[in-house]
Amino acid sequence: MTETKDGVAGVQEQPQSPRALLHIDGLKVTFSSRSGPVRAVDSVDLILREGERIGLIGESGSGKTVTGMAILGLLPVNAKIRGTIRYGDHDLLTAPDRTLQQIRGNEIAMISQNSGNSLNPVMKIGDQIAEPLVIHRLCPVPDARREAIRVLSELGFDDPELAATRYPHEFSGGMRERILIALALVCRPHLVIADEPTAGLDAQVRARILKLIQSQISGNRTLFLITHDLGAASFLCDRIAVMYAGEVVECGLAKEVLSLPLHPYTQGLIASLPSAGLHPIPGMSPSPASLPRGCRFCERCPAALDRCDCDHPDLFLTECGRQVRCFHYD
Amino acid sequence: MISRRYLLLRLCYSGASFIVCVTITFFLLHLMPGDYITNYLLSLSNTLPKEAVAQFREQFGLNLPITQQYVLYLENILHGQWGYSYAYGQPVLSMIFDKLCWSLVLLIPATILGILIGTVIGAWSGWKSGGKKDFAIFNIMIVIRAIPEFWWAIMAVMIFAFYLQWFPLGGYASISVLSTGLDFFDVLHHALLPIILMTFFIATGNYYVMRNSMIAVIGEDYITTARAKGLDEQTILWRHALKNALLPMITITTFQCAAIIMGNIFIETVFSWPGIGYLTTQALTNRDLPLLEGIFLLDSLITIGAMLVADVLSSAIDPRIRIGIDE
Amino acid sequence: MSRKIVLWVSVAILGLFIAVALAAPLLAPAGPYAITGKPLQAPDSDHLFGTNEVGQDIFAQLVYGARITLLFGFCSALLAVVISTSVGIIIGYYGGIVDEIVCRAIDVVMPIPMFVLLIALTTFFSPGVLQVSLLMGLLGSVHGIRIMRSQVLSVARTSFVEGAKAIGASDFHIMFRHILPNVMPLVMVKFVTTSQHMLVMGVGLSFIGMWDTSTVDWGTMIQNAYSGGGVALGLWWWILPPGIAVVGISLALALIGYSFEEKFNPRVGVNRI
Repeated sequence: MTETKDGVAGVQEQPQSPRALLHIDGLKVTFSSRSGPVRAVDSVDLILREGERIGLIGESGSGKTVTGMAILGLLPVNAKIRGTIRYGDHDLLTAPDRTLQQIRGNEIAMISQNSGNSLNPVMKIGDQIAEPLVIHRLCPVPDARREAIRVLSELGFDDPELAATRYPHEFSGGMRERILIALALVCRPHLVIADEPTAGLDAQVRARILKLIQSQISGNRTLFLITHDLGAASFLCDRIAVMYAGEVVECGLAKEVLSLPLHPYTQGLIASLPSAGLHPIPGMSPSPASLPRGCRFCERCPAALDRCDCDHPDLFLTECGRQVRCFHYD
Repeated sequence: MISRRYLLLRLCYSGASFIVCVTITFFLLHLMPGDYITNYLLSLSNTLPKEAVAQFREQFGLNLPITQQYVLYLENILHGQWGYSYAYGQPVLSMIFDKLCWSLVLLIPATILGILIGTVIGAWSGWKSGGKKDFAIFNIMIVIRAIPEFWWAIMAVMIFAFYLQWFPLGGYASISVLSTGLDFFDVLHHALLPIILMTFFIATGNYYVMRNSMIAVIGEDYITTARAKGLDEQTILWRHALKNALLPMITITTFQCAAIIMGNIFIETVFSWPGIGYLTTQALTNRDLPLLEGIFLLDSLITIGAMLVADVLSSAIDPRIRIGIDE
Repeated sequence: MSRKIVLWVSVAILGLFIAVALAAPLLAPAGPYAITGKPLQAPDSDHLFGTNEVGQDIFAQLVYGARITLLFGFCSALLAVVISTSVGIIIGYYGGIVDEIVCRAIDVVMPIPMFVLLIALTTFFSPGVLQVSLLMGLLGSVHGIRIMRSQVLSVARTSFVEGAKAIGASDFHIMFRHILPNVMPLVMVKFVTTSQHMLVMGVGLSFIGMWDTSTVDWGTMIQNAYSGGGVALGLWWWILPPGIAVVGISLALALIGYSFEEKFNPRVGVNRI
């Protein structure tokens, strides 16, 4: 079991591997709150390569959404962010607003979480989909409108011209998710971040949306899926990183991680699926305002060693190319 | 756009409100100690011969049973016959309309300016909420609002009219009017201070609502979506945030316009400005019930009308509320 | 940090006003009506704020007047809040036809301009401060019922209320011991803001002569001074003290009300997300 030098999560360098699109290095996000600093994300390293589909899995509060938001600079002003996120020549964390605005929607796009209010209620959806095209000056306004209609038909809307004149509240949850996907894809970005695309959708709709994402985000386009839905991750992703209490605790090829999880938390996660017998992990994840000194999963871990309580494990590299943050793999 | 049934329903409610108002005024008139005739006649002469009282009573239908009187009263109101003032002996409605014009001289500029200023500053403040500038403006607005209107008026008169002598102490025109007739600039000079004060007050109300509305909007998810699309802050503010934030303003603003039409009692009284507010104060001093009731009825008509218009407008404009019972 | 300072200063000022009002007989033993000096005397060692047109001590009038003004404000606010809270809880909890009827009644009554109605009402019973304050409390409660009701609705439909019902708690018990504590924060905020409005309105009404002008309260003091030429003659001590007193307590209440509101309903959003 070898330790990596700086614990960078990623597939080991192989000849002719696709180029790195986004390199998250040492990302730390702390929120200042009245009760003290809240460490939402604690030193995450991730490389996203061109054409790859990566899933970031974790329960709510694990820091996965914050990671996604950090990429596009969408965190609130009270967030203290450290580390670098390299994209091309830029460090997205220190880039000027102008640069960020050029990248957002155009080169890196986000499929927002489908809450009831993710779309502007007083704007027709056709206009909302056409907007990124117009903003980024990719084509003139009438062409943008036509493109919006074309995208709508591609995403399964029966009467796209009519749909484009409607308002968000006139659509169901599943249709709104499609609109959000359309918004993200319309400028043909290189990287698409999907934040909980299946939240709140019933099984049938969820399946359709997942298939849609799979067909739309293919080829050279990179997908960064943020979810707690293991099924979605296994369907869509090549690689999976599991987050717990603000850190990546396991990372590797999706099939391998899900069939043979190495980290006790991942094991617990999979065991808690209905298909595996619905065994919940006892206890609760630590509050980001008061994190334990040693391994953060120690309290709930069935395989905890003595040193787990006081030493904090690094991300260790196993022989099979998996990275695990656990002393058992030291 | 809006279903007819909804409109009809709202009209019924408005009608009901007005009927309630008229009923209230009717009962008040009848609960008066002494009755309407004796009180009215007292304004015409000091002595009340019994035959005159009996004759008037019959003419005005005060001998009839009360339900018939109520119907008569209702009819009169609807025909614009709102009774006669005790103190002046003149028809109430015409007195009110006379003074209304003067009130409007103050109200129209103040309302327009106040709404504009309040909304713009409120939008900006809401957008920048949490920042130092917002904090400063917000607290200034609280202070402005906490100081009662009449005190603002008194202070303004004291400082600007008495000590600095920039403005006259009150009234709507100088004495010279008696010989030269009304001069536009003279009236303007008299009106400026009250207009400025009213503008302040109207602006603070609009500011507060607009700011709250804007804050609610910027917390919404579609703003994050807009940002994720790569829109710059200005575009987000004008195209996405503002439209949504303005929706609740429509109701408030319509309502405000109406509330304000009835004249601002305090400012008019302090400045001796001969508008409806001033009339109200005088009516109160004279215990002139018909006049007060007339003012009340007109006020309620305008308020009820404004609520109706506001309701209809906001359902016409907000695409979310276009669901009528018909569809 | 500075918000806390503002809050504590406001509370201190409010306390000061209440204390002064309560201690009026101690501070001005002669009473507000006693003529203790020459008319329109400027402030001196005997008269902290000078005298008015009759020779009465303005300071004495101020502290005694505080009682009436404060009483009016707090009483009417208390009545308004008690009524709107109780009605709001009852109709929010029971729902059904009671709720429908009351809501429709409110829909009809809402547009009625209360202020002018109040003025009209007083022509006939030449009311005293107490009656006007009760009336205002009554009229002012209507608007608050809606707000209370929506708050109650969000609490009443939660599962812990159903749980309480399931163990056989009586309706009254649930309303009083479960729902009320949950809407208490809102009730407190409403009480403070309503007090401020009522107080200022009370001074305003008294200023335009709503009740007997021989009553000494801040409104009549201002009216007296203003119509007596206090401004025109530059007699600042006659007109300023009651006005500044009103401003002081109004500001204190407003600031307390806002900081409560912020605590219970954090409005100060941050710019992103």
